[in-house]
Amino acid sequence: MAVNPLTTTILVLVYVAITLVLGYMGYKKTVHAEDYLLAGRASHPVVIALSYGATFISTSAIVGFGGVAANLGMGMIWLTVFNIGIGILLAFVLFGKKTREKGAETGALTFPDLMGKIFHTPKLQLISGIIILLGMPLYTAAVLIGGARFLETTLSISYTTALLGFAIVVAIYVIYGGLIAVMYTDAFQGAVMLIGMSILLVLTYIYLGGVTAGHKALAAMSSLVPEALAGQGMTGWASMPELGSPIWFTLVTTLVLGVGIGVLAQPQLVVRFMTAKENRSLNRAVLIGGPFILMMTGVAFTVGALTNVYFYQHMGKIAVDAAGGNVDSVIPLYINMAMPDLFVIIFMLTLLSAAMSTLSSLYHTMGTALVCDIWGRGQRCAISLRANQIGCVVMMVVSVLLALAMPAGIIARATAMFMGLCASAFLPAFAVGVYAKNPSRTGAVVSMIVGTVIWFLWTVFVHTAEAKVLGISQMLTGAVTILGAPWTVIDPLVIALPISIIVMVVYQLGMKNKTYDS
Amino acid sequence: MFSVFGITDPAIWMGYALAIGLALACIIYGAINWNKEGKDGS
Repeated sequence: MAVNPLTTTILVLVYVAITLVLGYMGYKKTVHAEDYLLAGRASHPVVIALSYGATFISTSAIVGFGGVAANLGMGMIWLTVFNIGIGILLAFVLFGKKTREKGAETGALTFPDLMGKIFHTPKLQLISGIIILLGMPLYTAAVLIGGARFLETTLSISYTTALLGFAIVVAIYVIYGGLIAVMYTDAFQGAVMLIGMSILLVLTYIYLGGVTAGHKALAAMSSLVPEALAGQGMTGWASMPELGSPIWFTLVTTLVLGVGIGVLAQPQLVVRFMTAKENRSLNRAVLIGGPFILMMTGVAFTVGALTNVYFYQHMGKIAVDAAGGNVDSVIPLYINMAMPDLFVIIFMLTLLSAAMSTLSSLYHTMGTALVCDIWGRGQRCAISLRANQIGCVVMMVVSVLLALAMPAGIIARATAMFMGLCASAFLPAFAVGVYAKNPSRTGAVVSMIVGTVIWFLWTVFVHTAEAKVLGISQMLTGAVTILGAPWTVIDPLVIALPISIIVMVVYQLGMKNKTYDS
Repeated sequence: MFSVFGITDPAIWMGYALAIGLALACIIYGAINWNKEGKDGS
């Protein structure tokens, strides 16, 4: 469907103008490094909730995972269960308040800085910063690809132009306005996302003849599941895969557990807790955060699965076939084919919002990790606004280059990888750090290193989905993976996180009766 | 066959019920603790 270019241009310009005005407001309010790094520790609860939610939900969640739902079906709803239960309730209630209190108590300005200060060692700040710089560009590139692909399809511009234009607009307000600009624009973008996803859900059910009719039509398509997927345990798009089958393991361990748990220790989200002035701000943010996430991932996964009905009715093909075999193209294709012109533009702004809000936070986290936590660890972090701005520029360039080099269909996989790495590396040390009176420093260092190394080895040598693409195992051992089924479909997080937890617990219990050695 | 809004697999409709239930739990938690400060005691 051709979108009216004039209407598109006007709406996009209005959207970009609002974003830049909010960015400018952030810039005017940014006086000290604490403003740039932590939004002055005085964010409004609504801004915290929408910013957290909009950062949490990227194009990966909507386009990438929506596409995965089109391929694997409604079982993806369990990821929404984890997103709300763990990503909002558990994160805010169990970790949010403690993190805010520890942050205020220690004066920490970034996630790695917090880790360094609660364990009384700049070494942890450095290690956390390095892990962020190794893992986060991959996720950032995936977010960039998701946004650029949709702009490419909708505006009929080249992929490279879309990628660069998108990356630069976000960089402008992040570089000048810091975290205040990031959170203000996040809140606006979160509101746009809520409107867009609500309309998407309603229109989809209207097209399919209602809620029950749509679901029944999807369930009736189970005989159309491709042989390759059926052979791996897929039973249909409105039912779970066979228990213990390869697809079941991928759905449950990589997508649901990997992404669902991984969100708990993501540095760009943890920082949001530290921007709250008081604990009640976080309580209030929960009220908005839960329904917001339901309307984001719940809608994306439901509509993603239901696109099979639409494409079958209109093209005689299942969704992935209609999209030429690329799961990342299913949602953009559906929007462009099925939705009215005006909604195509609204949805483009929804996706732009999802991508920009996540991207801005990732630029900010990577830039400050480079400058504050690696270059200036322990002392120089808060001194120079300019240095932090340069850090954001450097990491933006790295992410763009990576996005240009990454293969198609990588969005959901790169997101799951980043979240798995975050949980395996940070979660045990972070949890003990904010809760224990006397946390084990050695335990934190060893747990983070062990978690990272095991996650990496499993990713490179065992988990087929990544090992095959990376090719390192093939090069070194002559085999795609060094273990056989079922290990090859078990996500690295499921192996690395328990080991990382055990290491942390053993060290923590070992020092229970010792005096803290600072 | 028993179905909820056309979905017959309990593992799917229970997932939906749980997702909606948790979103409601967030609303209730936020409303109940609207003014509760906690550690700082204000």
